[in-house]
Amino acid sequence: MSRTRALLLVACVLVPQLLVLAGSGHAQGIPQNIPRRELLILENPEGTVKNAGWFNIWAINAGSQSNGLQQAALDTLWYIDPESGLDGVWDNSLAADKPQYNADFTEMTAKLRKGIFWSDGVEFTADDVVATVTTQVKNPAMRFSAVLASNVASVTAPDPYTVVFKLKKPNSRFHANFTVRWGAVWILPKHVFEKVEDPARFDFNKPVSLSAYVLSSYDPDGKWYIWQLRDDWQRSSLGRYGKPGPKYLAYVDPGPPDKRVIAQLNHELDVVHDIAPEGMFALAKQSKATRAWFKGFPYGHPDPTLPAVIFNTQNELFRNADVRWALALLIDIKAVSMAAYRGAATISAIGVPPTGAHPATYHQPMEAWLKEFELDTGKRKIKPYDPTVGKQIADMLRPSMGEQIPSDPADIARAFGMGWWKADPQGAQELLEKAGFTKRGGAWTTPDGKPFTVRVMVEGDLRPVMTRAGTMIVQQWKQAGIDARIDVAQGTLPTRRAAGDFDTFIGWSVETFGGHQDLSYFLDSWHSQFVAEPGKVQPLRNWQRWSNPALDKIIEQTRTVGFDDPRSIELGKDYVKLAVKEMPTIPLMAYNVFTAMDQTYWTGFPTSENPYANPVPNWGNSRYMFVKLKPAG
Amino acid sequence: MRKGRYLVYAIRRLAQFVLVVFIGVNLAYVITHATPIDPVEQSISAVTSFGNTAPAAIEEMRRSLRELYGLSGSPVEQYLVFWKRILRADFGPSLSAFPTPVSALVARALPWTAGLLTVSTIIAWGLGTLLGGLAGYDRTNRGLKLMGVVAMGLHPIPYYILALLLLIVFGFLWPVLPISGGSAMNLPQGLSVDFVLSVALHAILPALSLILIGVGSWFLGMRALVSNVVTEDYVVYAELAGVRPWRILSSYVMRNALVPQVTGLAISLGGIFNGAVITEKVFGYPGLGSLLVDAVYAGDYGLVLGVTTVSILGVSIAVLAIDLLYPLLDPRVKVR
Repeated sequence: MSRTRALLLVACVLVPQLLVLAGSGHAQGIPQNIPRRELLILENPEGTVKNAGWFNIWAINAGSQSNGLQQAALDTLWYIDPESGLDGVWDNSLAADKPQYNADFTEMTAKLRKGIFWSDGVEFTADDVVATVTTQVKNPAMRFSAVLASNVASVTAPDPYTVVFKLKKPNSRFHANFTVRWGAVWILPKHVFEKVEDPARFDFNKPVSLSAYVLSSYDPDGKWYIWQLRDDWQRSSLGRYGKPGPKYLAYVDPGPPDKRVIAQLNHELDVVHDIAPEGMFALAKQSKATRAWFKGFPYGHPDPTLPAVIFNTQNELFRNADVRWALALLIDIKAVSMAAYRGAATISAIGVPPTGAHPATYHQPMEAWLKEFELDTGKRKIKPYDPTVGKQIADMLRPSMGEQIPSDPADIARAFGMGWWKADPQGAQELLEKAGFTKRGGAWTTPDGKPFTVRVMVEGDLRPVMTRAGTMIVQQWKQAGIDARIDVAQGTLPTRRAAGDFDTFIGWSVETFGGHQDLSYFLDSWHSQFVAEPGKVQPLRNWQRWSNPALDKIIEQTRTVGFDDPRSIELGKDYVKLAVKEMPTIPLMAYNVFTAMDQTYWTGFPTSENPYANPVPNWGNSRYMFVKLKPAG
Repeated sequence: MRKGRYLVYAIRRLAQFVLVVFIGVNLAYVITHATPIDPVEQSISAVTSFGNTAPAAIEEMRRSLRELYGLSGSPVEQYLVFWKRILRADFGPSLSAFPTPVSALVARALPWTAGLLTVSTIIAWGLGTLLGGLAGYDRTNRGLKLMGVVAMGLHPIPYYILALLLLIVFGFLWPVLPISGGSAMNLPQGLSVDFVLSVALHAILPALSLILIGVGSWFLGMRALVSNVVTEDYVVYAELAGVRPWRILSSYVMRNALVPQVTGLAISLGGIFNGAVITEKVFGYPGLGSLLVDAVYAGDYGLVLGVTTVSILGVSIAVLAIDLLYPLLDPRVKVR
């Protein structure tokens, strides 16, 4: 009896409390004990972090990167923005000036800012930069060890605000390692790491910050991290731009896409990192407070990344550029854009993402060349470029999307891209015949009489948009008589991609700075010196394993000119022309990221009209939005 | 039952248990190592997919990681190292969260999974068994008939559909319950009243989804069992002898019908160590299931083996316990 009474008593106490808590349901999805008007809630796309208490970003893949650590707490010498930037694309962050190279690019000097302090009160000096390099070079198990060891012969600090790197070989782009595009070599605190026995096994918990925020609390189960504005935020490099708006930042794992939509509709998630196009459309329709990069369709931010059909050019079938071109001419990009992004894609015919500074540097100036570009099918010469494809997509969408679809040609080009290759089955047939393929009974056979089978590898539900693009391309190739098959690799894609175990896959081997015209970010790795033999593991990023003497020459020349040298643009155009002629990958579109921003509590997010930063919240550069955000109302 | 005969039975059963665990763990080892996912490539991909790392440096990193992860030995050497560690209850470091030990990751996730699934399994079992027993005994009761219809209706609904429905109803249309996480954000974990209440509140939706799906099958199973038992001679005789219905139900019918249900409960409780992947994903609930899925995608052999070994042990121990208890509890079960 007494046990029953006790249970009843407990129930009487607990049930009303649960009911009260349940009644305040809105408060359950946001951090407790923090005023909402001081808090910005952002999605961490890494999801639940297994190793929640690990903050040593210099260890290899040990913990989270984009839980706010690289956006709010760490810093490095320079930042380059994929858009316009707060004060131009280039930002001298911990450095006081741009990198200075000697004449033959074997030495780089960085001048550092004065008056920058770690969150524990220790001044940031050149010794921290030196320690960042030496600590990692000494420990091969650290993340940037290999890249630093292969480049740096010595690093010295002649005074507390100057660092001199002597390089093992000429490298005109060495500073890119210390320049945040998404991330970079972050500066570590010497005064903390010098006391640690094994820096690769040190968790760096609680982290000492160099940027404007410090860790406030985190979930041991890895669902959320809360960062608080430093009292001395002026002593961080971000302080130059004024006081950041949010006092607290919460990086959270909001779960699957449907829950992200619900969370933003409930105003419990201010910044959704990315979501399927349908989720974005639902948010745009149901929430007046939601804003994306573009005010209306196509909403998403085009990242400086170029999804493409990537051929394994070491596969005998795809060695011949005529075959690669034939497959390109069998693609109807409008249908691919609709299948992948429901039309909300920014297409690119050339091997450069149609975003940031690139349209003005490459796409627009090369339009005339593209229009005149001819392809010899063996029977005739064709001009495959259609400059109106972007407009056609806009026209196709206008009846259903109405006024959201721009009508100004410049706006159309910015939103949907410019031209692409005309779907030309006849041209493709002639090219395949030229390459020795034959069509028997509606099906193509290879020169040695076997069925022309092409597997298109995709990641399945791990990357649905790309999977939908691949599926549509397979369908189009099948209709043309090719035995095309979708090959869902799921999580095995990185392993198979590196091993060359694919015919083609939908992915990207082109990534750029976006805001800067230099293409070396990806192009240097396309040099034939890095192409692995068949069966061997291919290093990042030339997944197509394509080598070409003319390309080598372009890359070697680029290495000898400075980062800002206008000659690098001309070399970039040479690369574009070569890639068009050879078609080692079929460029499709920018990787549009549907970052949804809720303006209920905060305003001033970066948008296409005010493109001061990339809004995608896992980018290190997204820190610039903190200083532009203002409380709403 | 004679003591000596039971002892022999128990020893044989224990030996069987050891063999099952040994085979299970070996199978898990072989399957995880046969995966086409290379943990080194996955790590490199995770680290470099956003960065600008020179190809030559990647090759260096690849070599370092192979050494660091202990993947450089021959398969036989790796197998022997694995068993040496297992015997010390050490699964080594997680490859996708290096150098954190697998045991630490499993220990962090296990209480969430065990708590949620134990409570929801017991509630679903208790409700389903009790109501199923009543429904099988009293076939004229309208309320219980309705329960049968509801149970039959709920049972075939795919779990994820039901979970999403709950999410939309209680998270969006009538947002009174939290839809994500195991407890409120920024609330320190500990034995405080606030934290305990927050955990209870966050468990309501995931537990409800599991109970709604689970209760149907226990209900239908028990109703069928009781329907058979009530036709037995001893039940008819008890009714004719004027024994009160409640006593017939509790002492004659339910107790006899319960044995298969108890077996099912034990196996279900053993199975909680598998985690509940969909529940954890849909409700963003921490636990072993998500840990396992992430480990599979990352090619993290150590972590996959850690979770599967816990799971193999859980199910095997549950079955062993049932086998050892049966002869003691149910006189109809003879030890041969």
